[in-house]
Amino acid sequence: MVYEEPGTLAVQASGLAKHYRGRAGTVEAVRGVDLRVTAGEVFGFLGPNGAGKSTTVRMLTTLMTITAGTARVAGLDVAHDPDGVRRRIGVALQEAGLDPRQTGRELLALQARLFGSTRAEAATRAQELLVLLELEDAADRRIKGYSGGMKRRLDLASALVHEPEVLFLDEPTTGLDPASRLTVWDEVRRINGRGTTVFLTTQYLEEADQLCDRIAIIDAGRIVRQGTPAELKAGLRERRGLAVDPTLDEVFLDATGRTRERVAGEVQEVTA
Amino acid sequence: MTTVQQANLLGGRALREGLRTPESLAPTLFIPVFFLVVNFGQAGRIFPSSTTDFLYGQTYAAFQLPSSLLLAASFGSAALYLVEDIEGGYFDKLRASPVSRSALVIGRLLAEGVKGVVITAVLLVIALPFGVSVASGVVGVVLLLVLTALWGVVFGGFMQLIALKSRSAAATNAGGLVFFPLLFLTPNFVPRELLTRPMEIAATLNPVTYVMEALRSLILQDPQWDVLTRGFGIVGVLGVIMVALNVRLVRSYD
Ligand SMILES: Nc1ncnc2c1ncn2[C@@H]1O[C@H](COP(=O)(O)OP(=O)(O)OP(=O)(O)O)[C@@H](O)[C@H]1O
Ligand SMILES: [Mg+2]
Repeated sequence: MVYEEPGTLAVQASGLAKHYRGRAGTVEAVRGVDLRVTAGEVFGFLGPNGAGKSTTVRMLTTLMTITAGTARVAGLDVAHDPDGVRRRIGVALQEAGLDPRQTGRELLALQARLFGSTRAEAATRAQELLVLLELEDAADRRIKGYSGGMKRRLDLASALVHEPEVLFLDEPTTGLDPASRLTVWDEVRRINGRGTTVFLTTQYLEEADQLCDRIAIIDAGRIVRQGTPAELKAGLRERRGLAVDPTLDEVFLDATGRTRERVAGEVQEVTA
Repeated sequence: MTTVQQANLLGGRALREGLRTPESLAPTLFIPVFFLVVNFGQAGRIFPSSTTDFLYGQTYAAFQLPSSLLLAASFGSAALYLVEDIEGGYFDKLRASPVSRSALVIGRLLAEGVKGVVITAVLLVIALPFGVSVASGVVGVVLLLVLTALWGVVFGGFMQLIALKSRSAAATNAGGLVFFPLLFLTPNFVPRELLTRPMEIAATLNPVTYVMEALRSLILQDPQWDVLTRGFGIVGVLGVIMVALNVRLVRSYD
């Protein structure tokens, strides 16, 4: 057993669980997730709709109470030192969280000030990020009038104001046109290149293949695969005795118990 | 960055929001002025200044003004904007920032206080043509502005509680309706000792009564320190309770 220094782990979860209690009973959204994300990597968190990706992200980012298990982010316990964690992370959630009545520039400057910047520093930082994410032209317009893609990019910018150690992105490219998607990919690579660990969820397997050093696949609240894309492909290849590496799509379908045939069958049932 | 600085930043943002939606101010001014005009118009002759002791020589409009001020201060929009922040995800963005949980809820309440001062000042000016003057002088005017604004903060804090709990605009609006029993189970037409017995009991139990009596004493008389202490005391205690409950809710917010 190789001793791993906890300091080198950007995210470490063990037995993480979340149960939602509602009138209709309890939903076990996440059921004992173990994760180890090394500092400096881009980590992909994949899974079908409703698998528990956003719930996991919300627990790791201090937004939601943890039902069971523990999580450490940037070396700090999420439940015991939430404020310390908040200082070290950037968060862009699945639903871009913006205020329609502020301008893009105001939103970024306010965010920077809440992280402790002076007024002048905040103005400089806002300008830098606006340029970086190609939002200069819209900077002084109210966010209400932004397109979906502009809102996503602004949301990403607002997660970067304080140069976080760990950046959480929940489906950062869903609903983006191909050009905007590439802008976000470039930005993720650039941020990662400067040492920020990126934890991203996505529905696009190509995105995971392109961007992520390692991935985990979650299904029905449990991790069903974890490793580098190459490892996961090789694993499936061996098991199936395939001549060439399968695609990450095939790994995903295999891991989540869905075969192509079954997916096709389900589609046929719907159309019949 | 201290909690106070953070609350100021968030309060500044809430004020900016208010300035950008001037339409939300219209009912805040219109409805209280409407009540002042109608009530004075209907009852002004029943209570002439010359023969009505409890008017201390002023018109009945002066007696009515506190109801209008409290009504205006209770039309704050903090809670509805909070629901928008929650629905739009911006509240989560703020919660994921290292902002003290108290600042998260106090920011909007500060803005509510500032708006309360401005609206009260405007209403005082509007009331001038009705023969209303503030008998307690400049100090009295300041106390009037502060007390009304503080009531706005208390009521805004109460509305924010509903917003945080329900996360729904409809529920928050419905919660705001409690203001009507609160405002009308008071000595709002005549002093407490002239009310019927059941009304007098209800008014005595209603904290708004004491705020209203304090405001009224400032308009009609020299400073009445006992009445003022009660009014400010009630607003102070309720304010602390509201903020504490708000902070508790945000801490356990999922
Ligand atoms: N607030 C909530 N109350 C009750 N159940 C919830 C709540 N939020 C999520 N769930 C349930 O928890 C499960 C996991 O949801 P979650 O949003 O984490 O999935 P996801 O993997 O992010 O899905 P998607 O890809 O659609 O975003 C789902 O069954 C969902 O219905
Ligand atoms: Mg999700």
